[in-house]
Amino acid sequence: MRAALALAGRTLLRSSVGLVATLAIVLGQAVLLAGMALALRRGDPALEAKLGPAASQDWDGLLSSAAQITTAGGMLGVSVVLTWIVAREFVDGTADGLFALPVARGTIAIAKVLVMIAWGAALSLALVASIAVLGLLLGYGPPDAGVLAGLARQLLLGVLLVPTAMPVAVLATWRRSILAGTAGGIALVVLAQVGVLAGAGRWLPPCIPALWALGVEGVGAGSLLLVPVWAAAWAGLLHRQWQRLQQDR
Amino acid sequence: MLTLRGVARRYRGGAGVRDLDLTVREGSVHALLGMNGAGKTTLLRLALGMLRPDAGRVEILGHDIAAAPAAALREVGQMVGRPFAYPELTVRENLRIAARLRGCEARAAEAALELWGLEAVAGTRFRRLSSGTAQRVGLASALQHRPRLIVLDEPSLALDPSSMIVLRTHLRRRADEGAAVLVSSHHLDEVARIAGGIDVMNAGRLIGQLDPRAPDLERALFARILEDDRTRAERPR
Repeated sequence: MRAALALAGRTLLRSSVGLVATLAIVLGQAVLLAGMALALRRGDPALEAKLGPAASQDWDGLLSSAAQITTAGGMLGVSVVLTWIVAREFVDGTADGLFALPVARGTIAIAKVLVMIAWGAALSLALVASIAVLGLLLGYGPPDAGVLAGLARQLLLGVLLVPTAMPVAVLATWRRSILAGTAGGIALVVLAQVGVLAGAGRWLPPCIPALWALGVEGVGAGSLLLVPVWAAAWAGLLHRQWQRLQQDR
Repeated sequence: MLTLRGVARRYRGGAGVRDLDLTVREGSVHALLGMNGAGKTTLLRLALGMLRPDAGRVEILGHDIAAAPAAALREVGQMVGRPFAYPELTVRENLRIAARLRGCEARAAEAALELWGLEAVAGTRFRRLSSGTAQRVGLASALQHRPRLIVLDEPSLALDPSSMIVLRTHLRRRADEGAAVLVSSHHLDEVARIAGGIDVMNAGRLIGQLDPRAPDLERALFARILEDDRTRAERPR
């Protein structure tokens, strides 16, 4: 496993994909939040109406907006990187070298997932730090216990992005295509939106982290536990795919 | 070291290989010759578990390839397809990672860099290399852990003459040390110099053997393939 982790970690650290995605997600969210806050400060009634509770010019409004942006934008960004780390073996032709190795291919796939989870945690820390700095710059004052709890929720929301996006790794392996996995990421975001509208949010793992972070009633720790179960099920499928992989295309 | 018994594999669309029986013994270099599309790469993929056979059995170091333990797989060195190297990593990083995946000390990479004349590009990212140098990296990666079973598909592709000599010398030496080597090649002169035995493939089957020391290997190869094509054409359907 250590060799597989070294492979996945080193390639992610040395590629531009991980760095560009991290910057795009963190800076993109910060710019969007700052732009929305400034527009609200100027008094934009249309934006105020659209944002609803997230329109309040305080920590609560900022955290509410951040949760929504992380859910959609973060999910897309994470899906791209997760897809890349899996499907790049087929696109770059390195999959051939993963056969007849003492390290099982299933282990290599799981190592990729573990590295992605670690990257997702680091990404989430960066997102939370950027939100905290932005709140202070906007003059919302030092965060009290309630705000710190909100930031902690935001941290867990970010950490759960990779586990929630696990189906894209399976899709990318099945189609052996970065594009297919990315399309899967878009589908997950759409599914999350539709799930919430249809009232299935508390049972549908792609919806749960955001609803929980927003403090929606009825979405508690029980619902949240469905996310690791969902991730483990997809990781199991990914492991099986990689164990049974054939170079027949 | 490597045995294929009655192996068959059919692709969607009808092409494939069948009735493959092949043994590569320790201390030998065995070559596969055939025209493009004859099935050489498919045979090598079957030998390495990259494809599962529809029929028959593949064994490496006495184990079914589908269930071979890590200890046996550690003894395999292969390059079938593109060189095993990640474009964003340097040559040295790629060799070190490949060594670790084979359960071998990462410092084996230093000896491989020297053997394959890669010191000057050790810190260069793989994506910036010429195709000839990339091929050398692939060979270094496949062979640095001193495997006892070596499987290479067209290893001399894009190699410059001095690298071809390194390849030839290395494979011969490894065979003398007891390794079993299976290579596919279209480079008849190269095959004649290193191989102890040659199997000819045509239309997805092994159709016979050639003596690598025969005076006109090319003529003998084409004659064998032509004869097989005629026999198949005359066979009632």
